[in-house]
Amino acid sequence: MDKLTEIRWHGRGGQGAVTSAELTALAAIKEGKFAQAFPSFGPERRGAPVLAFNRISESEHIRVRSAVTQPDIVVVLDPGLLYIVDVTSGLKDGGALIINSSKKLVDIKLEFGGPWQLAVVDATAIALELLKVPIVNTTMLGALLRVSDAIKLDSLLEPIEERFGKLAQRNIEACKRAYKETSVAKLSPTSKKVERVYAKESWPSWQELTPGFVVTEPGNARSYRTGDWRAQRPIFNHDRCIKCGICSLFCPEDCISQNGDGYFEADLYYCKGCGICARECWTQAITMVEEVKE
Amino acid sequence: METLGIYVPRLVTRRQSFAPGHRACSGCGEALAVMLVMKALGRNVIVVMSTGCMEIISSQLPYTSWEVPWIHTLFENSAIVASGIEAGMKALRRKGTSLPKTKVVAMGGDGATFDIGFGAISGAFERGHDFIYVCFDNEAYMNTGIQRSSATPFGASTTTQPAGKVSMGQSTWKKNMPAIAVAHDIPYVATASPSYPFDLMNKIKKAVAIEGPTYVHILSVCPTGWRIPTDMTIRLGRLAVETGVFPLYEVEDGKYTLNYDPPRLRPVEDYLKPQGRFRHLTPKMVKKIQQRVSAEYASLKEKAQ
Repeated sequence: MDKLTEIRWHGRGGQGAVTSAELTALAAIKEGKFAQAFPSFGPERRGAPVLAFNRISESEHIRVRSAVTQPDIVVVLDPGLLYIVDVTSGLKDGGALIINSSKKLVDIKLEFGGPWQLAVVDATAIALELLKVPIVNTTMLGALLRVSDAIKLDSLLEPIEERFGKLAQRNIEACKRAYKETSVAKLSPTSKKVERVYAKESWPSWQELTPGFVVTEPGNARSYRTGDWRAQRPIFNHDRCIKCGICSLFCPEDCISQNGDGYFEADLYYCKGCGICARECWTQAITMVEEVKE
Repeated sequence: METLGIYVPRLVTRRQSFAPGHRACSGCGEALAVMLVMKALGRNVIVVMSTGCMEIISSQLPYTSWEVPWIHTLFENSAIVASGIEAGMKALRRKGTSLPKTKVVAMGGDGATFDIGFGAISGAFERGHDFIYVCFDNEAYMNTGIQRSSATPFGASTTTQPAGKVSMGQSTWKKNMPAIAVAHDIPYVATASPSYPFDLMNKIKKAVAIEGPTYVHILSVCPTGWRIPTDMTIRLGRLAVETGVFPLYEVEDGKYTLNYDPPRLRPVEDYLKPQGRFRHLTPKMVKKIQQRVSAEYASLKEKAQ
């Protein structure tokens, strides 16, 4: 068996993790290698955490079809995910962890350091500047190129052009920019993984299920937190608010309600950060700001 | 027509039976539509829902967003199951069981309504069961990944009819489902949009009060499938109405009423331009769409007079 590189992408639905994986595989195939790309997600939608996987083999067929559990490289497209999902789970010693974050490398290292190579790039800023949207798939490819030699930039160009058409040039630019701006820490094989505790969802076993899968507690989805999906949060400016409540009427999560003073507030436990309230507010009392976790 | 004004909290109840914590995409127009429908329906209902986005996102085991009796059926069955429940309640009442006044509501997406459950709905309308059928139309099979349905408008790019060098996206026109419902001679047919929430809730309340089959068609903007930013959901719904692409009207016993009739329609371009699924349209195709929309709107207006 020759060298097999396994990559795991952590992103959110709609952010382009799946596209990143596909482009990586296409580039590798173009180089005459064997490659796979496939996503993994639940029934959740845009904004929910998703995974995408790559396997790249130099010269042998890849027979494995299962999800990647022990990756060589982990790429994190959304900095918020770092605190919800254990992104380094199964990451091999001597592997690489590539993170999209506006934080400095030294700060990230304190939180997510370990026996792997750490790379940080502010991909969201680059994407917003060059592409005008916070979709960081091609930008993170640049960071991947910097850290790994699994694929080359030249072989990426054609798949990007095919996928993005008119927008290809700007995507390539973003990719090159990220390649330059990625800061990479030296590999220190002796450093230990910083332990963190992650909330785990518990599922009932099949013995506990009711016949016909009847759910006996009405509306128990209220206990399910969808606020983690949020990339932006609404900020309510009480000086401009006229207490009309149009925000509460148009909220698809029904999470905006009136507080004691008559002003409106979003319940961030559910808010997915769609921005409808900010868009529809008559007096523009609501603004959306980037979500910063921790 | 919209008495939107201000002070929503005094006009609309906060009580509704579709709990947050559902897993719809951020900015989902359909989840909002369901919520508004539930606000108007109140608690005394039995909801039957076809397979589709709303079923998937609201009922992932072991959770449910529903606080009323809710039954998930297969794609084609919601009208059939609703008929059965209604007939069952009738039979129980005949045998002397006292039941509270309960409305049966069948809900389905455009796939379930336009394509897969089409025959069953027609049958239920024809038999005259006392139920409401609510169609949440997001103009494609969004749940499985934006495949075309017969509700997909002309020119829209979907994953099964993608726009490219050969294809120009959807090559056929959208099926006129409200007109088909009207053709069944049922007492009430209406179109609504969550961008006009009071209009939507009034129509649902009207449908509840009417005995016999009623049909409410709701255009639910889908940011994922229409390829628009998530905060544009409400605006796009409004543009659809203002351009005449999706006119708001109701038909009571064959009598048409236009609920929103602007003095001048906006050009369809305003509606098509923000959407990624129409990005490839040439001016010639836009003109073709404009002609069709204008003609359909004119004929609707004639009926409403």
